[in-house]
Amino acid sequence: MALTDTRPETGTDASAVAPSVVPSPLTIFGTGDHKAVGTFYVLAALVFGIAGWVAAALSLGHEVGSNSFLSGSTAMQLGQTSNLGLILLVIVPLFLGLGTYIVPLQVGASTVAFPRAAAAAMWTWLLSSGVFIVASFIDGGFGGSRDKSVSLTLMALAGLIVALLLGTVCVLTTAVTLRTPGMTLDRVPMFTFSMLVGGAIWLLTLPVLLANLLLIWVDHRYSGGTIFGAAAIQFDQVSWITHEPQIYAFLIPGLGVVADVIATLTGARLGQRNILLLAIGAFGVLSVGAWAQPAIYPSVSDDLVWQAMGVLMLLPTLLLVGGVAKAFKDGKPSLKSPLGLAVVSLLLTLLAVLAGALLAITPLELRVSGLFATGQFVLVIAAALSAAAAGIGYWGPKMTGGHSADGLGKLNVLVLLGGGALGGLSLCVVGFSHRFTGLDGAHDALVVVSMIGCALLALGGALALLGLLSGARKGAPEAAADAWGTGQTLEWACSSPPPTGNFGDLAVVRSPEPLLDEEA
Amino acid sequence: MTAHVLPPAPAVQRPRVLVVGTAFAAAASFMVFVGLIGIYLAARADVIASGTAWLPKGVTVPLQQPNTMFITLIMSVFTMQWAVAAIAKNDRVNAYLAMGLTLMLGIATIVMTTYLWYLMKLDIASGIQGVLIYTITGAHIVMLVVAMIFVALMGLRALGGQFTARQHDGITAAAVFWYAMVAVYALIWISIYVTK
Repeated sequence: MALTDTRPETGTDASAVAPSVVPSPLTIFGTGDHKAVGTFYVLAALVFGIAGWVAAALSLGHEVGSNSFLSGSTAMQLGQTSNLGLILLVIVPLFLGLGTYIVPLQVGASTVAFPRAAAAAMWTWLLSSGVFIVASFIDGGFGGSRDKSVSLTLMALAGLIVALLLGTVCVLTTAVTLRTPGMTLDRVPMFTFSMLVGGAIWLLTLPVLLANLLLIWVDHRYSGGTIFGAAAIQFDQVSWITHEPQIYAFLIPGLGVVADVIATLTGARLGQRNILLLAIGAFGVLSVGAWAQPAIYPSVSDDLVWQAMGVLMLLPTLLLVGGVAKAFKDGKPSLKSPLGLAVVSLLLTLLAVLAGALLAITPLELRVSGLFATGQFVLVIAAALSAAAAGIGYWGPKMTGGHSADGLGKLNVLVLLGGGALGGLSLCVVGFSHRFTGLDGAHDALVVVSMIGCALLALGGALALLGLLSGARKGAPEAAADAWGTGQTLEWACSSPPPTGNFGDLAVVRSPEPLLDEEA
Repeated sequence: MTAHVLPPAPAVQRPRVLVVGTAFAAAASFMVFVGLIGIYLAARADVIASGTAWLPKGVTVPLQQPNTMFITLIMSVFTMQWAVAAIAKNDRVNAYLAMGLTLMLGIATIVMTTYLWYLMKLDIASGIQGVLIYTITGAHIVMLVVAMIFVALMGLRALGGQFTARQHDGITAAAVFWYAMVAVYALIWISIYVTK
C-alpha cells in the first residue's frame, strides 16, 4: 500500500488496548495511529517550548545594560532562533498535534487521512527540529559565520516547513472528506473549523517562507552569498512570519480551542455560532502576511492595506470575545483550569491585537525601536501557548484516560497570565520610550521584567507538560467517555482514551452539538 | 405474481480523500512559486527602475525553447486527461498509453529546460538574475519530477489492477498535481521568458 493510501476504515475494537500517553518505542516508531502521532507532537513541542522561552529570555538579556554576557551576534542569533523556534517548533506543532489527535474524533472519523503520511510528517518535523537546534548552536544561525552550519540550518528549516505542511494537509483532508453523515461544514466543532481556517492560511503562506529559504540557500551555497544569502540580511527575508499580520495566523486554531473549552465548561451552546465562524474566517483572512515582506517591500508598514489589516483585526477578535462571553452568561461556568486558561488566552489575544492595532498607526511611531513589535510577538505567542495549554488540559483526559491534577492547571493559569502580561506588555511599554523621555531610565528594568515573563512562560509550558503526564500516572482518577459531563461534540462520545477505530456506529449529526441533541 | 423490486442501493459514500489531499498539496506547491515569482518581479522592477537592463550583458533568454516547452506541457494536459477519461471507462490500454505519453512529454520538458540553460549562458554567480532564474526553473523541474513519479506510481498501481471505472482516485489525483505543475510553468513562461 502506498504512502498516499488511507488506511481502510476499521471498526471499533472494544478489546483493543488503548494507547498510553507515553507509547512504547516500538509503537512510536511503527505507528500510523493518529492518537500516538498527535500525542508525540504535543509532548515534543512542549519540551521545545521550555527551551524556546529560556532562549528568548537570554537573548533579551543583551538589551540590559552595556556589558552583556552574550556577544551582539550571539544574542541576535539566539533571538532569531528562538523567535522562529517558538513558531515552527512549538506553536504550530502543538496545534497540529492537537489537530491530528482531536480533529478525526470531532468529525467522527476512524482515523486521520493519510495516517502514514501524518506519521512521516511528525518524524520529519522532529528530525528537522533536532538538526535546526544543533546547527544553530554551532554558529549556523542566520548570519552565522560557519557556512556549512548555515546551510544545515536552512535545510533543517525547509524540512520543518515541508513536514508541517504535510501534517496540515492530513488534518485538513480529514476535516474536509471524513466527516460523519450530517456534519456539514457549518456544524463542525469550533476547533476543527479553526484548524481548517488556520491550516488553509498555513498552506498558503508557509510555502512562501520556503521560497525565501530556497533563495537564501541557493545564493549562500552556489553564488557566494552576496544577495539573498548575505549574512546581514538573511533573517530580514524570513522575519515577516514573526510580525503582524502573519503572526496571527499561528493563533487561529487557538481561537477554536478557546470556543470549544468555554462552550463545554459553561455547559451552554454557543449563541450566534455562524457569526463566530465568520469571525474566525475573517481573523484568518486578515492574517495573510506573506506579501508583507520588509526585505522585498521596505515601505510595507506605510502601506494602507497593511495598516488597515492591523486595525481591522480588532473586529473579529471583539466578535469572538463577545460570542464566548455570552456563553458565560447563558451557562453555568465550571471553575476548572482549562476554562481559566481559555480566558487567559482570550485576554492575551485581545491585548496582542490591540498592540497590533497601535503598531499599525503610523503617527504613534511605535515601529521605531522594534521592541514594541517584539512585545506584540510575545503577547501573540503567549496567547497561543495559553490556548494550547487550555486544549491540553481540556482534552487531556481523552488523551490519557485519566484526570490530570487540576491544581497544577490552576497554577498554570496564574503563571501564563503573569508570563504573557509581563513578557509582552513590558516590552510594549519600552516601545513608547521615544515619546515619553521619563521611560528612558526604566528601560533596563522593563526588559528584565520581560525576561522574567519569558521565564514564566517557559514554566507554563513545563506545567502543561506535567499536567498531561499527571493524567497518565497510576492512580489518576479515571476519565469517563464524557470526561467533563457536559461534552457537546463527538470526541466525548468515544471512550477515554479512544480505542482503535475510535467509534462504533454514529447517529446522523443534526446540529453542531450532537451530544446535547442526544440528551434532549 | 408480482415481481419483488428491491429498493435502490444507497449511494456509495466515497470520500475522495486522495484527490482532496493532493489538491491541498498542489496548492501549497503553487504558493512556493507564487512567492518565488513575486520576489523575481520585485527584484526585476528594482533593477529596471535603476536604469539598467534586467539581463546582464551577453545573456540571452530565447523564446523558442520556452514556447516549445509550453506547447509540450499543454499537450501533456490533454494526455493526462485522456488517462483519467480512459480509466473512468475501464479502458486500461488507453490509460497506460496516455500515462506513458504524459511521462514522455515530461522527460522532453526536462531535456528542453537543460538545453535552455545551456543556451542562456547565465552564470548562477553573475548576480541576482542568475540566482532567481535558476532557483525558479530548477524548482519547477523538481515539481515536474515529483509529478512524473506520482503519475508513474499510479500507472504501476493501475497495472496492478487497483483502479477501476468506479475507483480511480489515484489517477485523478496525479492529474490534479500535473495540472498544477503546468499552471506553474504558465506563470514562469509569462513572467521570466515572455516579459524579460
